[in-house]
Amino acid sequence: MAAFVKRYGSLFGMLAIVVVFWIALPDTFMTARNLLNISQQVAMLTVVAVTMTLVMVTGDFDLSVGSMASLAAVVAAVLFTRDWPLGAALAVALAAGVAGGIANGFLVAVLGILPFVATLATLTMFSGAAFVFSGGKTIFGRDIPQALSDFARAGLPLGTAGDKPLLLPALTLVALGMTALVWLLLEQTTYGRRLYAIGGNAEAARMAGVRVRLLRLSAFAVTGFGASLAGLMYMARVASANPVQGDGLMLSAIAAVFLGMTVTRDGQPHVLATVAGVLTLGVLDNGLTQLQVDSYVRQVLVGAIILAAVSSSAIGRKALRLR
Amino acid sequence: MLSNLTRRGFAGSLVLATAISTLGQAAWAEGEKIAVITPYLSQPGTQFYVEAFQARAKELGWEVNVIDTAGDVAAVISRMEDVATQGADAIVLNVDPAQVGAGLDAAAAANIPVFGMDAGADPRIKANITSNGYAMAAETSVYVANRIGGAGNVVMFVFDAFPPVQVRGAIADAVFKNHPDITVLDRVTPDVSDGGIADSRAKMEAILQANPEPGSIKAVWAAWDQPALGALQAIEAAGRQNEGIVITGIDANPQARDAIAAGGNFEASVAQDFTGIGTTTADTVARVLKGEELKANVIYVPTKLVTAANAKE
Repeated sequence: MAAFVKRYGSLFGMLAIVVVFWIALPDTFMTARNLLNISQQVAMLTVVAVTMTLVMVTGDFDLSVGSMASLAAVVAAVLFTRDWPLGAALAVALAAGVAGGIANGFLVAVLGILPFVATLATLTMFSGAAFVFSGGKTIFGRDIPQALSDFARAGLPLGTAGDKPLLLPALTLVALGMTALVWLLLEQTTYGRRLYAIGGNAEAARMAGVRVRLLRLSAFAVTGFGASLAGLMYMARVASANPVQGDGLMLSAIAAVFLGMTVTRDGQPHVLATVAGVLTLGVLDNGLTQLQVDSYVRQVLVGAIILAAVSSSAIGRKALRLR
Repeated sequence: MLSNLTRRGFAGSLVLATAISTLGQAAWAEGEKIAVITPYLSQPGTQFYVEAFQARAKELGWEVNVIDTAGDVAAVISRMEDVATQGADAIVLNVDPAQVGAGLDAAAAANIPVFGMDAGADPRIKANITSNGYAMAAETSVYVANRIGGAGNVVMFVFDAFPPVQVRGAIADAVFKNHPDITVLDRVTPDVSDGGIADSRAKMEAILQANPEPGSIKAVWAAWDQPALGALQAIEAAGRQNEGIVITGIDANPQARDAIAAGGNFEASVAQDFTGIGTTTADTVARVLKGEELKANVIYVPTKLVTAANAKE
């Protein structure tokens, strides 16, 4: 029984949240349009959280993803103001993300600095760099290419609901693509299995011939890429770039990965579990807004629900051990 | 035992959730549903006009839902989509509309009128209700120019990243430029992450160090009150409060009013009528809900110069 609770407890909790909203908002919650909205609202967080899963698998984490997201958007936007072509500006911004990730990986995996300290330092540096490049300004309006904001509003037509077309949002597609990629990488390749081995016991993995340093470094590089991609998606969605706009992604992404870990059999981070965590956060925001729950109460509730999920999983694990 | 515990936990959360939803349902049983969405609720000005809006809304019998996204602009779009799905009668925004275009589209698709409360203009916004930033900056920069007899060095504190504050700086630039004997010694953008006073003070201390001669700085013009207060602290800490350096701010927050009333270097500020902005926004929403077509898409609420003569009002 304890095993059952541990394995499925949080999953039932997540489903219960959905069911409660469904009952409380019979007309507007479980509609295709609303669900597609939620998928678009969590697209940026999904990209950050699934790539964050990679570093958390090896037992590290990355505090700099939020400021990297802000920095990438600012880099692209500044290049737009200098009349760079769209593709080139985006490529430079993504490259900046990978470079930042490699820097994090170098500090943590090669120099051996604690991830908390190393990425806290780079968080501050990336954030400072975003202010330097933008001069502290919000870049918006004509400086942001129309194609970018058009992209954020576009989507694959799925049919119609009522008299309006129903679109699978482009940002959702990007998030789905990134999720599929990371899932393949982590769950279906030797690379992924080696990352889990490092997370299990880095020393044993090293003895077994796994190139621990290089792999940990590469995980940070992927996380950096994810953070910059999310930053660009954010810029497309708000049609502007400012030096702090992505900062909030970091805590939510870590929360999503932890929330996800409560539904996995082995208590390890897994990509699809992380997505479940992201969706839980997104559904809570959407449902509680529609129920007109005060935004500060909403924050308290979201925190309490994360705690409830993590503690029910911890209690389950303890019971398993006692058995 | 354990499974009981956990089961009870779930039952508890279900009851809680049902209770929340019942509360929510009860909240929008009657009256027009108006959503107020802002990333900036914790800022003092925002609180004033949101409260004034709520007060007038109560008289009008509306159900107001105030949503704060704690600085997250993308979340404003998300909450606009949620509110559009849920079917509100009007949305009031307190964020630059240029950044929430996708949300404005969602509201337009659901035929929900959107209003700006000190937000910014956009064709998809019925009206933006705000103070005239150009006029406010003109009041204080002209005050400075007159007080120093149109000659001397002036330090400016600006914040061009935030469009409503940027226009203030642009006007002050023009006024000072129009006086050939006024020199802008420095145009400082303080770090505002700590509220703006501490960093402005540090910046001003450095400028005072660099200009030790009495009379080498005639005035400090700040685009809002916090840098003015920081500059005042720096001047007093440096013991240079008797050189006649004139300081002005904008917004006339309570701390600034106290400083102005004390009769020191901080001489003037401009009071926005936050309460008036909130009330006028509610009245404008009411006009549109009644079917009126608005001609002007920006509605200015008058402001007032605050000096030692009226700072205690």
